[in-house]
Amino acid sequence: MYRKLLERKGYFFLGFIALWYALSKIFFDKATWELGIADNTSFTNVVGDAAGAISGNRTHSPFFVYFFNPIRLFINGFVDIIRNLIATPSNGHAAPTIGWLGVIAILAFITLATSRIRMAILVITFLLGCGALGMWADTMDTLAMTLAAVLLSLAIGIPCGIWAGLSDRVLKLFTPILDLAQILPTMVYLAPLALFFMIGEASATIATMIYSVPISIRITSHAIRSLNFSPVEASISMGATKKQTLSKVQLPMAKQMIVLGVNQTVMAALSFVVIAALIAAPGLGKPVISALTIQNTGRGFVAGLAVVLVAIMLDRATSAAAMKQKAFIPPTESEKRRKRLNVSIAGAVALGATIASHFVTALGNFPDNFDIATPISNATNSFVNFLVNDVSFLTVGFKDIISIRVLNPIEDMLARAPWFMTLTMFVIAALVLAGKRIAFLTFVLLSAIAATGLWFDAMITLTQTIVATLLTMIVGVALGIWVGRSKRADSLLRPFLDAGQTMPAFVYLVPILGLFGPTRFTAIATGIVYSIPVVVKIVGEGIRSVPESMIEAATAAGSNVRQIITKVQLPASKRALMLAANQGMIFVLAVIVIGGFVGSGGLGYIVIMGSSKPELQGKGLVAGFVILLLGVAIDRVAQAASRRA
Amino acid sequence: MSADSPMIQVKNLWKVFGSNPDKVIGTELASLTRSELRAKTGNTVAVRDVSFDVAPGEVFVVMGLSGSGKSTLVRCMTRLIEPTAGELIFSGEDILKVDGNRLRELRRTKFSMVFQHFGLLPHRKVIDNIAYPLEINGVGKAERHKRAQEVIELVGLNGYSEAYPEQLSGGMQQRVGLARALAADPEIMFLDEPFSALDPLIRRDMQSEVIRLHHELGKTMVFITHDLQEAAKVGDRIAIMRDGALIQVGTPAELVANPKDEYVANFVRDIAKSHVLTLRYIARPLRSDESAATVELDADLIIREALPTVLEAHRPIHVVSGGSSIGVVSAEDVLALIASVN
Ligand SMILES: Nc1ncnc2c1ncn2[C@@H]1O[C@H](COP(=O)(O)OP(=O)(O)OP(=O)(O)O)[C@@H](O)[C@H]1O
Ligand SMILES: [Mg+2]
Repeated sequence: MYRKLLERKGYFFLGFIALWYALSKIFFDKATWELGIADNTSFTNVVGDAAGAISGNRTHSPFFVYFFNPIRLFINGFVDIIRNLIATPSNGHAAPTIGWLGVIAILAFITLATSRIRMAILVITFLLGCGALGMWADTMDTLAMTLAAVLLSLAIGIPCGIWAGLSDRVLKLFTPILDLAQILPTMVYLAPLALFFMIGEASATIATMIYSVPISIRITSHAIRSLNFSPVEASISMGATKKQTLSKVQLPMAKQMIVLGVNQTVMAALSFVVIAALIAAPGLGKPVISALTIQNTGRGFVAGLAVVLVAIMLDRATSAAAMKQKAFIPPTESEKRRKRLNVSIAGAVALGATIASHFVTALGNFPDNFDIATPISNATNSFVNFLVNDVSFLTVGFKDIISIRVLNPIEDMLARAPWFMTLTMFVIAALVLAGKRIAFLTFVLLSAIAATGLWFDAMITLTQTIVATLLTMIVGVALGIWVGRSKRADSLLRPFLDAGQTMPAFVYLVPILGLFGPTRFTAIATGIVYSIPVVVKIVGEGIRSVPESMIEAATAAGSNVRQIITKVQLPASKRALMLAANQGMIFVLAVIVIGGFVGSGGLGYIVIMGSSKPELQGKGLVAGFVILLLGVAIDRVAQAASRRA
Repeated sequence: MSADSPMIQVKNLWKVFGSNPDKVIGTELASLTRSELRAKTGNTVAVRDVSFDVAPGEVFVVMGLSGSGKSTLVRCMTRLIEPTAGELIFSGEDILKVDGNRLRELRRTKFSMVFQHFGLLPHRKVIDNIAYPLEINGVGKAERHKRAQEVIELVGLNGYSEAYPEQLSGGMQQRVGLARALAADPEIMFLDEPFSALDPLIRRDMQSEVIRLHHELGKTMVFITHDLQEAAKVGDRIAIMRDGALIQVGTPAELVANPKDEYVANFVRDIAKSHVLTLRYIARPLRSDESAATVELDADLIIREALPTVLEAHRPIHVVSGGSSIGVVSAEDVLALIASVN
């Protein structure tokens, strides 16, 4: 029966949405299951009690004594070794074991040894910049946390990735887990981890690893799998054992891509370490959060700037190291000799600086007598004030249009209508878009959400996600078409897209909060900014991969540019568009949830309240779980729909 | 083992791709054509009931159109692909029955392979590429480099031992491939379209190179190609494959003179007959109005090589085999053959 509907999907959907809207007006504000923020349901109470029981068992339950606690202590110890080395004063010393000068010297030296001198200079400048912003200690904490998480992630990710690269069975086993980890919004697993590993370094590190290990596994296994097969086959044909082929052929050939995976792992870990400040991870996330909480845009901007500096520095340095692996041909003897000389001189200087920074306190703690943070912060604040007060039509006006014309009507439809009506409508939509199986899955997932009692907040979050995704798609597809059609546009936008993808989502919140204040719209705008790069990239890629011959044929038939775009390029890249929408939505959801911090309400806010108020702990955990259900539902429907497209 | 017992015996070898390949062989399914079977069960018969022998020191060429199963056959013979059924005997040892350790040992010492796309290790210098088979066999660095250097000279790569594969031309790279295959001094070499990726001129050089190496070292070779000229040039015998099955095996002359069917005839059409046929194939009885010249020619002489003598004689010449005449050839006979357009 729905085969017919499928053929007229467009008309059907218009009618369907009109009907939905009408129904939601008729039954406005009935059976919405709206819940006050401080209210618990019986289910959240049960979860809260269970959580209390779990943390009460921390000292004597065997699970804790023999499993969770040792892991926590091990990771804490590992992180502390690194922190004591570069970040925190220890052993009765007034400064960290290696002071600021030493850290700068060592990092510059490593960069010099693995890439080029220009990168080393960039590293020195950016680190000094972080210090001058008054963020030295926090920067070091972030670096220490990132380093710890990256080392542990690689220690797990690279072997597992190699394993999955060599065996199809293992890859099959890993894939669903990796997929899940990728769609899981970051906020979801912070609270449960804190429950088992307490808030602090261990939880933050594990949370970071959950995020970055899959990336490392994925890239490593891809690196092994995408190798040219003929050297591998040749090696086997000569009687090499599996181990010999791996160590002498596959790994050396895959080295560059594996190092590229290190770059991705580092960036993922960094962005997470910043967010992990929510569960008391030390580092630059802390000043960002406190600035967000007191809504001091200037202070947040300073901290965010330090995050940006660290992000660019790590990205450039590690990707430069990866680029250097590219050529299989090593440098000539004389190049090597010169490099060796440079490196040994730099090494000696670094060693001297490190020793000096250990004994001289002035070289240990970053000097605080020249302060550029305050002027930057003040300038930012007055600029934001100017934007908000004097050109308010740009900020307030835009915000109001979106809020009143778009957000409110959709919120009325999804959240302020009876829950069973919304649920039914979603299941029907899934049936038409994605088929029976997915419709059933949608039914199950949405019913589970309803059963938790957090239906209303889930719909608030979903509304914001939908609106942000729509806006993202409008902007992202337009830019994607431009990038896909014009090489110049591509090279113009690419640096921004790349930078945008490496920045932690948190950083975007700060300036947008300044512009739009603590509202739903801030979360939406942040979601848009955060997810546009990935949408533009996917759409651009899709447009670019439309065969030249198709376009030539259309041009020869006399189509104009608009016709080529709408009749050839867009239809031909339908799959890319669907994929972009799917990815965009997942990215947006992750940010909307973080937006709980800045007044977006919904599930994110409950998660945050849950982590600060003991009586709401259960509710926070449940909200996290609902976010997970929502994410899975969105992902499944979008994927099934794109398969049909 | 006596000198004339075969180096390689292939007996009823099968390779069926797809699930449950054993369900195909020995059932009525096996008699279906390749496309029928694929439509019915999804299996592909890549090698179908192939049997042949290769003598020690012989260059055995396997030819066939793309997809006829040549690569699969040669990979089955090195067990890079596990055959589905059959026997494979190298100097009396059934290769399909040996365990992993023995197989590796055989690969390290007994036979080696040269690949169409070279399969060189991009991160290693030429010398370390060539020394690789010795390295995995545990030969020390000094010794394996010494051996590699010998082979480098053998294949004419002098002065390139410190270069990386990317720095070499395609022809040079395949010389490295050849050298690597020779490094462990194997008895048998398998070459899967070794020169297909090369330019025609370089390809001709490399063919001569293989012939030279074969003369100097006397290796047994199984040489895959889809180029007929190449096959005729390097091969002692040629096997022609179609849809996984061997259609005909014979010397170039046998194939040209007596193609078994239309497929083989089409295949060998482009060979200049005078280049492969021997006098034996055109010898005819002396007619009563002719008188033979005093010179004689051997029956196994290639026609092209007999041409000067035949033209100079102005009279039919006796063709002798085993001391007695099997007939005569005249200048007209030879010229008619050269001029004939198949
Ligand atoms: N791994 C595989 N799985 C399934 N079918 C395969 C596989 N490898 C080869 N085949 C099929 O077996 C048949 C023989 O392939 P093969 O590569 O041996 O041909 P070939 O004669 O070497 O061709 P070419 O000249 O193109 O190299 C083809 O139909 C091919 O599609
Ligand atoms: Mg082949």
